[in-house]
Amino acid sequence: MNEVITFIWTVIILSLIATVIISLYGIARRPNLTKKLIALTIFTDTANLLVVLLGYRLIYPVAPPVLPSFSKEALQTFVKTAVDPLPQAFVITAVVIGMAVNVLIAFAIIQIYRLYGTVDARKLGEKQSTLLKEGGI
Amino acid sequence: MNVIGLTPIIPIVFAFALPLFSILIKGNRKIIQFYALIGTGLTLISSYKLFQLGYSSNVPLVYTFGKWIAPIGIVYEVDKLNALIALLTAGLMFLIAIYSYRYLEHDEGLEWYYTLYLGLEAGLLGVLLTGDAFNLFVMIEVTSIAAYALVMFYRDRGDSVFSGLKYALIGATGTTMYFLALGMFYGTFGTVNFADLSAKVHGLSFPVSGMPAGNIVITSGIALALATWAFLIKAAIVPNHFWLPEAHPAAPSPISAILSGLVVNVGVYALIRFLYTVYGGSLAPELAHVVSLLSVIAIALGAVSALFSALMMNVQKDVKRLIAYSTIMHMGYLFMAVGLGTELGLQAALFHLVNHSIAKALLFLAAGIFIHAIGSRNIEDLSGVGRRMPIATFSLAIATLSLVGIPPLNVFFSKLLLFNAFIDKNLILAWILVISSVIALIAYMRLFYVIWFGKPKEDIKTKEPLSMSLTCLLLALTCLAIGLMAPTIVDNFIAPAAAQTLDYNSYINAVLNLLSKLLH
Repeated sequence: MNEVITFIWTVIILSLIATVIISLYGIARRPNLTKKLIALTIFTDTANLLVVLLGYRLIYPVAPPVLPSFSKEALQTFVKTAVDPLPQAFVITAVVIGMAVNVLIAFAIIQIYRLYGTVDARKLGEKQSTLLKEGGI
Repeated sequence: MNVIGLTPIIPIVFAFALPLFSILIKGNRKIIQFYALIGTGLTLISSYKLFQLGYSSNVPLVYTFGKWIAPIGIVYEVDKLNALIALLTAGLMFLIAIYSYRYLEHDEGLEWYYTLYLGLEAGLLGVLLTGDAFNLFVMIEVTSIAAYALVMFYRDRGDSVFSGLKYALIGATGTTMYFLALGMFYGTFGTVNFADLSAKVHGLSFPVSGMPAGNIVITSGIALALATWAFLIKAAIVPNHFWLPEAHPAAPSPISAILSGLVVNVGVYALIRFLYTVYGGSLAPELAHVVSLLSVIAIALGAVSALFSALMMNVQKDVKRLIAYSTIMHMGYLFMAVGLGTELGLQAALFHLVNHSIAKALLFLAAGIFIHAIGSRNIEDLSGVGRRMPIATFSLAIATLSLVGIPPLNVFFSKLLLFNAFIDKNLILAWILVISSVIALIAYMRLFYVIWFGKPKEDIKTKEPLSMSLTCLLLALTCLAIGLMAPTIVDNFIAPAAAQTLDYNSYINAVLNLLSKLLH
């Protein structure tokens, strides 16, 4: 039983790391700006999931970190079964901040589409270089 | 009221209240400007008090939010290092707020500009004052979001939106890396408080959060590498620099001054905190090996960016792009000095950080006056404009000469300190400093020659905008004054700050003393 749990645990961690690498590739290499944004959200979500996993405990039974009553017995079972709540608090903060960044980036992509009529980073790069040669403000 | 907790709160309250307030006053520009001046001015007074407090006390001061002491709650910890940089930040933000009014006279949306501006100031002060690695992440994000949005301030211009988007994508990737690093720190050490982390790394006992679990050398290595990568992106060191030469010029000139003078400092300051406070002093041999490897990487990348951007400065046609490359060069010097790990290196880094912030902000502001008058960033278009605006040209001259390192201006003395610090480590580093400065001198002289001696394309009738020029003059005189008083400033302000930063025990004990009072 123990080996199975270790195996599943390793598979989960490795697949998350693989997702991180694939999403970094997406941010760097995909020419479509919307796909870059999607890759960025995949990257942040994978990072969040990794941090949530840190607080999880490989024990049975495992319970959410809620203290039902303020007594010694309740505290004992709490310490034995509860998962670590702090990584969840980290992640909820990171998710909220990430939403703000994503909304800002999405706005920028819409604005670029309005101004140039394309979201292809290669075409936009060409337009940028001609603009800078003219030395506009 | 405690001034430590109050300092970042003032600008954030002013920022959040401004959109509602502007509806109330129907968007009157003068009242909005007055409001912004009050907001930044109060922050400046508060930071000055903080500076006095930090320098009058021998131990770091701790502020606990809601009496929740670390490692349970978030604390703000003020030592001489962050008190000095906080004063610098608040002072420059106040002066640039004066400058912004005339610069943006033709643009709509002053209330949104100042909302983001005050948010940026709150984020910067939060980054500096916090004693908690997770709060540092939150504050870096606050700073960054405000900075991304300010780069996109001219939202009808394609280049500014596109470069702001690039900045946002790479910046968000970097901060997520830092978040992953934080997860690793928490998983291993069971805490994200700087004092607690430092105690665990140095093998000291710290109550509440227990002992570290797992292999601390490997996790420290990976987490530090991820965090350093994030700071390299924030400080725009080669090869993570590519967003800066596009994002800084695309912003309005006062924002370029803030981005180049203050926002890039975030990366350097955070690296100083990690390398000197958390992983400073004597460590276990394997851990010391990891940290020294990281320092070597910081020095090498800093040297590459100094040389690379000095060369790139010479081929620019856009005046703000030229200055932006100079920022990368100076960030390279700072990373080299921080990577040295010596007290002299830290002194040099701190003094150079202060001098560079003032001189670089001045250079962007002075160039901004010309850009405001002509309406172009192309160096050729600016030819001959200098003679119409003597105060701005004087400021530009002081800023360029100062950044190159001509005595008796301020950057000369910090470059002297840098030179001494580098020569202790390796002669090549000192040569890189000299060579890149000389190459930068050529680029600056070309810019200055065109602006002063060039033939004007058409007759320019604009008068010098006084509120902008006088701000520049004040900063230019500050450059001169710091240069003339350099030995006193180093002895009284820089050396004590560096000594206190190296003394990680006092940083830990400041929190530990409060904690032991609570537990016993």
